[in-house]
Amino acid sequence: MDTTTTTQPTVELPRLLPGDFAIWFFIFAELLVFAIAFISYSVMRIQNVEMFNQYQLTLNRELGAANTLLLITASYFVVRAIHAIRIDDVKSCVRWLYLSLGCGSGFLLLKSLEYYEKFSHGINLSTNTFYMFYLSLTMFHFLHVILGMIILLAIAIKAQRGGYTAQDHIGIETGASYWHMVDLVWIILFPLVYIIR
Amino acid sequence: MNKLYNIHTLWLGMLLLTLTTYAIGKLGYSGVVVVSFLLITAAAKAVFIIRDFMELRGVSLLWRVMMYGWLLIVVAGIAITYLLSL
Repeated sequence: MDTTTTTQPTVELPRLLPGDFAIWFFIFAELLVFAIAFISYSVMRIQNVEMFNQYQLTLNRELGAANTLLLITASYFVVRAIHAIRIDDVKSCVRWLYLSLGCGSGFLLLKSLEYYEKFSHGINLSTNTFYMFYLSLTMFHFLHVILGMIILLAIAIKAQRGGYTAQDHIGIETGASYWHMVDLVWIILFPLVYIIR
Repeated sequence: MNKLYNIHTLWLGMLLLTLTTYAIGKLGYSGVVVVSFLLITAAAKAVFIIRDFMELRGVSLLWRVMMYGWLLIVVAGIAITYLLSL
């Protein structure tokens, strides 16, 4: 009888992507679109450096920076919500999600003030190339913030109704991944459009 | 949880980096060194978001290459076009 024992080598498998697998294709497609927009802005700037530098100074950097702080904080709150649901703390999870929505609302409010300031001075998409990029890039992102907030609100309501547990919270991870993508895009957009000159 | 490297310290770190970016803009600094610093700062924040907030640390190599590759192409594209504009 063979008494020797053989130990199987353990193979460490990669972790699964958080949330629904399909959302990652959507996120990556969105990131590609924004990448093309960022590179287009940068290429157009080569031909219009003076114009881009001149009109960049008319942007409200304070609001841009405040919006960056709001989005980073909103992402942090979403991470806290996921950590809370993983220990079945539904109440904290819901609270963090609503706090995140509060930050998102703050972003929309400040951005709307910025647009109001520009539109009241007669600035629009056809004013010049810089404003065309500034308005189209930030408005496209603005729409993503709105979509992200709708997703977070739906998740918060479902969580409030007891729809998620420590064992089953894939929906929260899916929504959180999308929201982080919105944050990720703004982290590049802010220095590119408001600061770099 | 690591005392120095966790989501709380990363959040505070990203807020500080954002304020630094704002201060550079407010003071009107520009040039290759400044823009390099701004891009490295933005890339660092983006890595924190991808790795620690999106929790892509340890997922399949393909997805990490796709996400960090996206970041690299965007940052390199901005840097190269900036140099061409000088």
